[in-house]
Amino acid sequence: MLEIRDLHATVADKPILKGLNLTVNPGEVHAIMGPNGSGKSTLANVLAGRDNYEITGGEALFEGKSLADMEPEERAQAGLFLAFQYPVEIPGVSNMEFLKAALESVRGAQGKEEWDSVTLLRQARAACKQVNLDASFLKRGVNEGFSGGEKKRNEIMQMLLMEPKLALLDETDSGLDIDALQVVAKGVNSLRSPERGIVLVTHYQRLLDYIVPDFVHVLSNGQIIKSGGKELALELEQKGYGWLTGEEESA
Amino acid sequence: MTVSANDLALALKTQALASARRLGGEGDALAALEATRFPERKTERWKYTSVQALADGHLNAVAAGDLRQPLPALSESVVTINNGELVTSSLPDGVTLHHNAPAVAGLETPFAVYNSAVARAVVLEVAANTRIEQPIHVQIQAASDAPAHCNPRVIVKLNNGAEATVIEHYHGEGQALTNAVTALITADNAHLTHYRLQGEAASTLHIGTLIIDQQGISQVDSYQLMTGNRLRRNDVHALVGKSGAELTMKGIFVVRDKSHVDNQLCVEHRVPDCQSDQNFKGLAGENGKAVFNGRIHIHEGAKGTNAELSNKNLLLNVGAEINTKPELEIYNDDVKCAHGTTVGQLDATQQFYLQSRGIPAAEAKRMLSLGFVNELLMALPHETVAEWARPWLEAELTHARPAGEGAA
Repeated sequence: MLEIRDLHATVADKPILKGLNLTVNPGEVHAIMGPNGSGKSTLANVLAGRDNYEITGGEALFEGKSLADMEPEERAQAGLFLAFQYPVEIPGVSNMEFLKAALESVRGAQGKEEWDSVTLLRQARAACKQVNLDASFLKRGVNEGFSGGEKKRNEIMQMLLMEPKLALLDETDSGLDIDALQVVAKGVNSLRSPERGIVLVTHYQRLLDYIVPDFVHVLSNGQIIKSGGKELALELEQKGYGWLTGEEESA
Repeated sequence: MTVSANDLALALKTQALASARRLGGEGDALAALEATRFPERKTERWKYTSVQALADGHLNAVAAGDLRQPLPALSESVVTINNGELVTSSLPDGVTLHHNAPAVAGLETPFAVYNSAVARAVVLEVAANTRIEQPIHVQIQAASDAPAHCNPRVIVKLNNGAEATVIEHYHGEGQALTNAVTALITADNAHLTHYRLQGEAASTLHIGTLIIDQQGISQVDSYQLMTGNRLRRNDVHALVGKSGAELTMKGIFVVRDKSHVDNQLCVEHRVPDCQSDQNFKGLAGENGKAVFNGRIHIHEGAKGTNAELSNKNLLLNVGAEINTKPELEIYNDDVKCAHGTTVGQLDATQQFYLQSRGIPAAEAKRMLSLGFVNELLMALPHETVAEWARPWLEAELTHARPAGEGAA
């Protein structure tokens, strides 16, 4: 479903990804780990199509189509979802209005039946409940004045509604206390299915206690330098990244 | 045809005087017109607004066209003024319509002086200690296929303890220039909610003065929504004239294509212990151009004044222009006066966030633009106006007009 071959990418003209290879098949959960500055978040943002994140070599194919040729909204319509590391506050645009526009576009593009406003509200409330977010958050501006944990839960709430084919979670665990982490993990686990791929970008092993990955990859200096099963994460937890990257980790 | 600004100023004065004499202008009002000067190249107050469009000769003829799409009634109480002439009125008990107009203080532009010389004012007077529930919808419409103008003049007078809502609603078609004067006069304990809705066709022109004359301890809440057209100039002059008076003004202006809005606001605090609060938001797209000059003038002796002014603006693309300037004139130490103006662009991160959820770029832009002014839309106290304003603004922000089909 996701096929990344020898991917090179720059952020504001600075090379960050330097020949990255990764294949994600439906039903798989992949964790991408690595030290700060290794390119983890860059990978997530390149795949989602953020401005200034540019593919300069190689390719990233989503269901056979080159992501480089698609606008961010086309990627979302095709079934890609990025849970942001830093969800954006948009005062003046209510969460509900936002969800309505997003779901109309994505469900329409995927040929799914349109939700009327009653169905939408019911589904949104259920999704809120699933991530322990009070339904009153639907009326507020998108992420406006939300705490760090509330923002992350709002991301997962959106993901539950959008039912993506491929979910990318960029450091969704950062800034979460243990209760919130479990809520988020439960939300993600509920989406695990044979048709769906999930990529978790994380610095710490902690999240992987709750969302057990099928594959763990270590990213360093823009390349994947080691891949393994879930036991690799535990090994990293004990030894740090230094034994793989040949550097002392300062972070 | 382009003429030099100074030649045009002379021509406009000649035209205005001739027109005033034709229309029966006389006495002091005509003398005042004779003494006034139309904007020249270096006239500071007209620095950002060229009246070059008037070289087409709008002042030579009075608009007399038929309206193709007159305004819908937003209330059961309606006053209709077409091409400067009162056509119909339907008013509740407690509101009298007459033509015995009081003198209007604070008029400054030559166009307002011309209006004073020729206009037959429509005075809406609300009886003392009367609360009028229904908003009074004052429809001020103009139409003309050829360049022509009209001079509507509306005076709203709230006597002691009166309470009312007035919707001042402009509509223009073709090449009409609406040269308007509106005055709101409030006595003690009066409370006026005022809307000024300006969504005339892009091909029309509007030069208007709004006077808010708080003669008594009164509250005036004014909501001003406007889109740009070929030329829109709004002079708003508020005289907060009795201790304890409170004024709020909130507004949204949107300029698209080549349209133009020039807002010149002046709030004058002459006496102690009054409050004024202004919050305006502007949006400009394509080659639209907007001006916001917000002046707060606190006179000597007006101690205890609390005056605030905020004007935030959003440029939707390169090529759009907004000039904003707060001007403070304070002759007193014991005052609170806060002001802030900004001009920014759409936030790329917010735009990406919306797009990453499948929302197309143009729709994301529209949502963010609407979000920018939403707090002011939400603040409109009358549902009937909000219901009119929201789709009107959404259409303006969706901007479905094809590229190139700009304002005439």
